[in-house]
Amino acid sequence: MNDIQPHPAVKDPKPPRKWTPPGLGLLQGLAVSGRNLVESFYKKDRMVTVQYPEERLEISPNFRNFPFLCYDGDDPVKGLRCTACSICEKECPPQCIYIVLDRDENGKSLKRPKVFDIDISVCMNCGICSEVCPFDSIYMDGEYEMSGYDRFGGMMLGLDRLSKSADYHMKLRPEQASEVLARRKADEEKKAAAAAAKAAKAKAEQEKKAMEAKQAAEAAAAESSQGGEA
Amino acid sequence: MILYLPILLLILLSALGAVWLAKPVHAALCMALSLALTAVLYLALGAHFIGLVQFMVYVGAVAVLIVFALLMTRRGEESSEISARPRSWALGLACAFPAAAMLVTAAIQGAALPKSPPSEPQVSLSDLGRLLFTDYAPAVLVVALVLTAVLIGAALFAREPQKDTLR
Amino acid sequence: MSAVPELLSPSVPWWDLEWLPRLPQRVVEWIVQFLGLPEWLAQIAGMAVAAFTVVGVFAGAFALLSLIERKTLARVQNRLGPNRVGPCGILQPVADGIKMLTKEDIVPARAEWFLHLLAPVLIVVPAILALGVIPYGKSWTPVPLELGLLFFFAVGAMTELSIFMAGWASVSKFPMLGAMRAISQMVSYELPLMLAALGVVMVSGTMSLPEIVAQQGGFHLGFIPAWNLFTPWGLVAGVVFFIACIAEANRCPFDLPEGESEIVAGHMTEYSGFKYALFFMGEYLGLFAISGLGITLFLGGWQAPLPGLGFVPSWCWFFAKLSAVIFVFLWIRATFPRVRIDQLMRFAWLCLIPVSLLTLPAAALWHHAGRGFSGWALTLPLLAIPWLILTVTFNKRMAPQTRRFHYADS
Repeated sequence: MNDIQPHPAVKDPKPPRKWTPPGLGLLQGLAVSGRNLVESFYKKDRMVTVQYPEERLEISPNFRNFPFLCYDGDDPVKGLRCTACSICEKECPPQCIYIVLDRDENGKSLKRPKVFDIDISVCMNCGICSEVCPFDSIYMDGEYEMSGYDRFGGMMLGLDRLSKSADYHMKLRPEQASEVLARRKADEEKKAAAAAAKAAKAKAEQEKKAMEAKQAAEAAAAESSQGGEA
Repeated sequence: MILYLPILLLILLSALGAVWLAKPVHAALCMALSLALTAVLYLALGAHFIGLVQFMVYVGAVAVLIVFALLMTRRGEESSEISARPRSWALGLACAFPAAAMLVTAAIQGAALPKSPPSEPQVSLSDLGRLLFTDYAPAVLVVALVLTAVLIGAALFAREPQKDTLR
Repeated sequence: MSAVPELLSPSVPWWDLEWLPRLPQRVVEWIVQFLGLPEWLAQIAGMAVAAFTVVGVFAGAFALLSLIERKTLARVQNRLGPNRVGPCGILQPVADGIKMLTKEDIVPARAEWFLHLLAPVLIVVPAILALGVIPYGKSWTPVPLELGLLFFFAVGAMTELSIFMAGWASVSKFPMLGAMRAISQMVSYELPLMLAALGVVMVSGTMSLPEIVAQQGGFHLGFIPAWNLFTPWGLVAGVVFFIACIAEANRCPFDLPEGESEIVAGHMTEYSGFKYALFFMGEYLGLFAISGLGITLFLGGWQAPLPGLGFVPSWCWFFAKLSAVIFVFLWIRATFPRVRIDQLMRFAWLCLIPVSLLTLPAAALWHHAGRGFSGWALTLPLLAIPWLILTVTFNKRMAPQTRRFHYADS
């Protein structure tokens, strides 16, 4: 066991001097803190204090707080992407989301939520609701100044406070928002292309049928004229 | 004389407290109080140097030593051992009699107190210093030797057995 | 009536502010005499007002120091200090005071309430008593005692008992431990303090503090002040004294008895509200008193540092020196980590006491060999050679060792 060699990366530090003036290290330490003190008055980048609430730190794009609902365009009701499928309600670990589907007078689903409540005193900011949403409608917000005076009702956010526009999403998380928008646009184009292809195919089929009917009619006409001649 | 009566009374009371109180810490603090009041008496009598030295040495060193010993050995709380005093009155009187006899004899035979304390101390500080280092030098040296021996003995007693230290 | 001519004496130039500290006392004495009350009442009233002046000035200085300390420490640590309450945070001590006064006074149920109550009082009283003997100006020592230095150390000795009382009365682990450590630290560092002061007494031949300051007047070579710090033994004794000052006042790097990360608050753990504020105040007043004593003994008290600056009032010089010394203490607090209890004791007993013992024969030699060149020539080797030997020994035995852990990278 005694012949273990030290790792080659470990180098011996320089051996200490035979006699160092005592207190030299202390004076060097005092010089460092003295320099800090003096420079703090005229060097602006030394002071790291951010004087909240007059100044605020920039939040990073990965910061997430409570969720918000995204809507396209200008109308928060018509442009809301959420279809009240309730997947986020079921997946939320502390079960802080409450959704009621909007139905018309016949009971048919209108594919939008009538009530969408999130209790932010329960929400644990995990982001699972955002991960499982199939309609790109719920994302994590970055707002943190949400103190209120009411512990129960004041902490329950409804549709009016949760709906924020897609431009806000773009400002908040540019990468994520642009990726979502690109994907949605690609999906729409694909759908449009598929619809166009289907329409073209239907039209071609219709033309073919019309052609066949015309040919059949011509054949029938030729037959009847030949029969008259014999 | 009237001015000294309250101080003397308080000294007696605190000395009684030092002997009679059940908890050792209370008794030690009462003793410190009686020593401090003795220093006050010296100061009132005009012996400034002795009064201040009494305060510094007795209250600042001896009393601190006693309370420190109580603190270290954690015996300050226990009152059961202290209150088991011997019940024999005769033994107590026999111990107190010689001291009382000396005090009474000194009081009867001693000189009368001056009417008011002298404003200037009769023996000045430099005289005291000179006496300590010339006439009483052997006594000072002997006391110093005794104290050194006590310190070394205490350090040896308090030392834990030397363990092998890894170098 | 006798006070007024003294104030307006023609020998004192009108712009000389030497009489300013004495003003409240003189005014009260004059008022009482004007009202026809007896002489002894005037004296007592004057003394009371002088005492209140001293306490008031230093309590105000304590409040200011608590703010300056926080801001200086903050600036050294690259952050701003308190700056919300009032411009530059100047009203922060007021806010702190209000907070302390309105906090609930909690006494543990098992604690002995009388000792618990008495301890903070007995920490503030010696500090205030000690502040009374320091000469602040040419004609302003609140109580000029012939044995002023001895009085100072005697009342300082009372602090240790009160720390013990604080630790014992709150029946709890941390106060007990903190009190033990605090007492052992204070007792150990009192020795270098007194030995260093003893050298000054030997050279000055008196224990009276105004006398000691008066003997440090005058200038060598025309511009070097004759302070005790600028003598060979005085330099060593002064450094030892100021290090012992920091330890006696329980300040960083010697604040183990009250460091938060070590022992909660040591002997002050079970105190809240005004009693805690009293502890705090007692600690800072003690710091003022002991650095005031250091300035009196080694830095020439109220003497001016250069010959031409005599027009500045003497108490201004004293407070300027006090501010400088306190600033150095703050700087030291901002820089150094806390020392452990065994390192603390080792430093006191193995380093400070031998060095301070050395200053005694050095001071005697310097005094008897004439205070000039021969004094320097004899004393310097006496001090320098043991110091060099000490440092070589310390470097060998106590220098940081290279340790290599062979098995750490397997």
